[in-house]
Order: sequence, then C-alpha cells, then structure tokens
Amino acid sequence: MIKSSSQNNFKVVLELKNVTKTYTTGGTQFNALDKVNLKIYQGEFVSITGPSGSGKSTLMHIVGLLDNPTSGEVLLEGRDVSQLKEHQLAQIRNITLGFVFQQFNLLAKTSSLENVLLPLLYSDVPKKNRPKIGIDLLTKVGLKEKLTNTPAQLSGGQQQRVAIARALVNNPKIILADEPTGNLDSKSGDEVMKFFHQLNEQEGRTIVFVTHDMDLAKQANRTIIIKDGKISEERHA
Amino acid sequence: MLKPSFSDLLKSSFRSILKNKSRTILTSLGIIIGVTSVILLTSIGNGLKKYVTDQFDALGANSIFISPGKIFNDNGGFSQSSMATAMTTSFTQKDFNLLKRKLKNSIVMPVNATYADVKSNQAIKKAIEIDGSIEEYGSSNNVVPSNGNGRWFTNEENDKKTPVVVLGYTIAETLFPKSSAIGKKVIIKGKSLKVVGVVDKKGASMGGPSVDDAVYAPFSIVANLAGKEDINTFVIKAPSKDTIESTKKEITKVMLDKYDKDAFSVFDSSQLLNSINSIINVLTIGLTGIAAISLVVGGIGIMNIMLVSVTERTREIGLRKAIGAYPRAILIQFLIEAVILSCIGGATGVLLGYLGTLAIKPFFPAQVTISSVILAFGVSSLVGIIFGVAPARKASKLSPIEALRYE
Repeated sequence: MIKSSSQNNFKVVLELKNVTKTYTTGGTQFNALDKVNLKIYQGEFVSITGPSGSGKSTLMHIVGLLDNPTSGEVLLEGRDVSQLKEHQLAQIRNITLGFVFQQFNLLAKTSSLENVLLPLLYSDVPKKNRPKIGIDLLTKVGLKEKLTNTPAQLSGGQQQRVAIARALVNNPKIILADEPTGNLDSKSGDEVMKFFHQLNEQEGRTIVFVTHDMDLAKQANRTIIIKDGKISEERHA
Repeated sequence: MLKPSFSDLLKSSFRSILKNKSRTILTSLGIIIGVTSVILLTSIGNGLKKYVTDQFDALGANSIFISPGKIFNDNGGFSQSSMATAMTTSFTQKDFNLLKRKLKNSIVMPVNATYADVKSNQAIKKAIEIDGSIEEYGSSNNVVPSNGNGRWFTNEENDKKTPVVVLGYTIAETLFPKSSAIGKKVIIKGKSLKVVGVVDKKGASMGGPSVDDAVYAPFSIVANLAGKEDINTFVIKAPSKDTIESTKKEITKVMLDKYDKDAFSVFDSSQLLNSINSIINVLTIGLTGIAAISLVVGGIGIMNIMLVSVTERTREIGLRKAIGAYPRAILIQFLIEAVILSCIGGATGVLLGYLGTLAIKPFFPAQVTISSVILAFGVSSLVGIIFGVAPARKASKLSPIEALRYE
C-alpha cells in the first residue's frame, strides 16, 4: 500500500483528546469510549474496526461530529468543536464532512442528481452552480446515464456510488464511511473499495472507514482496533 | 439567511406531499369539508340578507307600520310577548278615520290578512294569504298590474263591497294555466270573486309568502271573508324619507290617546329589516361556527398524518441532519408541508364552496363574499401552522444518530 504523500506532512485534520462518552442506562453508567486519543492526518486512509459493542460506532459518531463527547476535546483543524451547539455542528458537518452509510440513505422517489445535490441545499453554494457539480460527480462515479433515475431503479452498487457522489458534493475534508460495503455483494463491495482507494490516492482525500470486517480494514493505511471503548491496537500497512 | 432557500423548501415540501397523493387528499378532506361549509353557509347567510333587503325595498320605501302588540323589545330585537298581545288586540274603523284626519300629508291604509283556499274551475291553491286594503295600497306597494294584466281595485269597489280580486303571478299561473285569469271567477270560502288584475312577476320565492303568492282584495271583502271588521295593521306612507321619524312620532301620539303603550307598535321597514338581519347574522355566525369545528377536526387530521410522516421519514431526517440540516431547517420544512396540506384543503374548499353556491343559486339566494373566502382560507392556513408545529418540532429534535439507526 502506498502511503499518501500528505500524511508525511503530519498535518492533523481531526484530533480526539481524552474523549470519553458515557451512557447511563437504568442507573448504571457505561463508558462507550474511555479516554480515547486519536489523530487523523490529512490524506490518510484510516479504518476503524472492532467487535460489535466495542465502541466503534460511538467513535464514528464523535469523529463525524454527530454527537458531543461527555468529556475530552475534539479538535477539527485545531479548533475545539466538542461543546458546540447542534446547529453549529450541522454547519461544520455540511462544509467539512462527507458521509457514506451502509444503508445508502438515499431519498426515495428522488432522482440521483437531486440526491447528490441534497447537502448543497444547506450550503452557501450558489444555486446556479449546483447542477454542474452534481453532474460532474455522477459522471465521475460512472453514473452519467442515470442522472434522472430514482434509487429504486438502481442496483445496490449504483446506489452506493450515488451516495459517494453525494458525500463528495461539498468537497469535504474528511469522508466518513460506515460499513459502506455491508449491504453489497462482494463484486459491488470491491468496486466501492476500489473507488475509495482511488479517491485517497489520486485526490488525496482523507477517508475514515468503519467496518467490523478485519480483512477490509486491513486495506487501509492505518487500522485502529477498538475494544471496550479503548484503542487496543494500531496497525500500519 | 435562510438555508435552504424558501423556494427550495417549497419545492421539496411539494414533492414529498405529491409522493403520497391519496394520503394528501384524505388528509386535506377535513379542511376541505370545513372550508366548503363555512363558505356555503356564509354565502347563504349573505344571500338571505340581500334577499330580505330587496323584499323590503319592494315593500315600498317610506312605509310605516302600526301593529297590535309590542313587537320590538328595548334592544331592537323582537319582543317575546308580541304574539300574545297581537292575538288579542286589533284596531278599528274609528282609528282609521282618526289617523286619516290627523296625518294629512301621509297615506293611511288599513290592511287585513286572512288565509284561505283559492279555487278556480281548473285548480285549487291551499292556504293562500289574502290581503285586504284600499285603492292606495296598490300604488304605494308597487303591486298595480301593468298594462294588459288588468287593473287594481278601486275605493268605490271597496265601499260597495264589489267582489273583485287581484291575483299574485304564481296564483294566476296555477289557477288558470291555459288562459288569462282576467275576467274569470275564483271561489274563496264559498264566495265567488271576479279577477280584475294579475300582479306582475316579482321574482323567486324563498318559501315564505311573497307578492307572487298573494291575493289582494278590497278591505271590505276580506273583512267579510275573515268574518271580522277589525283592522290588523295600518300601513302609512310618509311623504318622504326625511319625514319618517316625525310621522312616527305623530302616529304614536295619536295612538297613545287611545291605547296603552305596549298595545301597539309603530315601526318602519328599516327597523324590521335590522331586526331580521340581526337574526340572520346570529344564525349565520352560529352555523358557521359549527362548520368551523370541522376545520379544527381537519387540523387534528393534519397533525396526525404529519406525526406519522415524521416517524416514517425518521431516516430521511437523520440523513438531512447528518449532511448539514440544522434543526430549524427541518422544523420549517415540516411546517411548510403542514401548511401546504391545509392550504390545498383550503383552496379546494373555497372552490367547492363557490361551485356549491352556484349550484344552489337557482333555488336559494346565495352570494360568495370575498371576506368569507379570505377568512376561511386564512383560518385553514392558520390551522396548518398551529397543528403543524408539534410534528415539526418532533422532527427537528430528532438526533441524527438515533434517526440514522432507526429501522
């Protein structure tokens, strides 16, 4: 695996400092994350893996700025965002992050193009520039012919490619993929993984990729293995 | 600045509403029914008011009435004791002569009414109002037949008790369907009367007595038919509109010499009109209020469907939030959907109410007013906002994590 050049610059995009997330259920407290320290460098392809219940989803939510930690700091390009309000986080997510989900989460009965353009609704990108951005991205993921198709008219692999185009539409700093191949057959899954590699290697995109599948996780530059809310191991490819 | 832009919000709201067409129609149905009935009922109320006003105009301006009993209470409404006194009191020929003498500038007309079946050799009309008065009544009430339709009766015929009648248009049509009624005989209470004229057609009836459904005869003839010489009512035509009030005072003075102040009422048509209109207003407001209840029920229907929609679209909400929708954007989106639903209902209701009004117009006076349209539409969109808030808040408060996890 080729190390992307920018990782060598050691520019940290996202850093977690002593992040703890505590859930209280039925009066008992439970640390889903326990003083986790983690740095994600620009241009890196990181995978987060671990058995179910290990805290990897919680980690992904914190990294994805979908949730505030109970304690600790989350630094996005050096700025602490751990205590920001929901609407402020929404804006940061809109500008900085691109999400790819296991369930694709495309809007039903809505065309591929409109699905891709959805994040731009909440952005400052001028309306007249939007369609071209979407069409270019769908062309890039090989779905130029499917602009007007709705998700129901696309295969699983095609739907996930629409979702990837959507994740790229705001030119994000980090792409967060949560089990992106979990709902795909192995051939489509391989294609999606290949596409992530391309984005990482050719465009230098930072990719954080969550999976329970150790073999898939190994494809990343760096694999973070989480267990009982703590990082138990880090492996470099 | 609002993100997404208002037009984007509107577009996506319309899209999600159109995704579920049959649900949209069913959801709006409550509002549709509410708005339709509000529009229809106010149209009927307004039409009724206009009809009554027109009837009073036709009755003749500057007319003052003297009736037995206390008709109006102190608030301008109808007095409750009027019926009882009206049954026991009536006026006499002496009163007529006195009024005629005292009111030199006005025309004083005694009016008696009785109800009886009217027969011709071809047909019968049951329980018809037969009004008896004098020659002057015809011109002052615009009921003198036009050329070719015969004539009104004379005071000479009244004095000589000549058995003549003037028929209302509908009565004449019914009793003599094939030929002109003039010169023919009608039988009322076993007495034979000669038709001397037919009143011109005055317009649609609402079911109550109208000029078209009345029969007119000299006062002495009606007194004979009714079996009493007493006078039910005086109609006094004041010289002009400006003298109505002074004439009323004069009449009251004359009448008070002989009668107790509660034994008679002196009023003009505007007073009567106001009282009737106030009754119609109360009825219209009451009925419209009942119809408005269905607007509230419709609003609850919208709230229900919007809550279902929020649950159904939990994942969509989670996704939108994850990719950058702030809570208020979601709130506004769902609020707009609720308002659109209720506005679709409101617009459809206005249209149906308008068509309904057109449909009943041939049978019943009805008139759509701009104010009722604005009111009904405004209330329905208000209902959308009020009942849309709860579901929209629920949607905006969903956590993106929970929402994305939702199966």
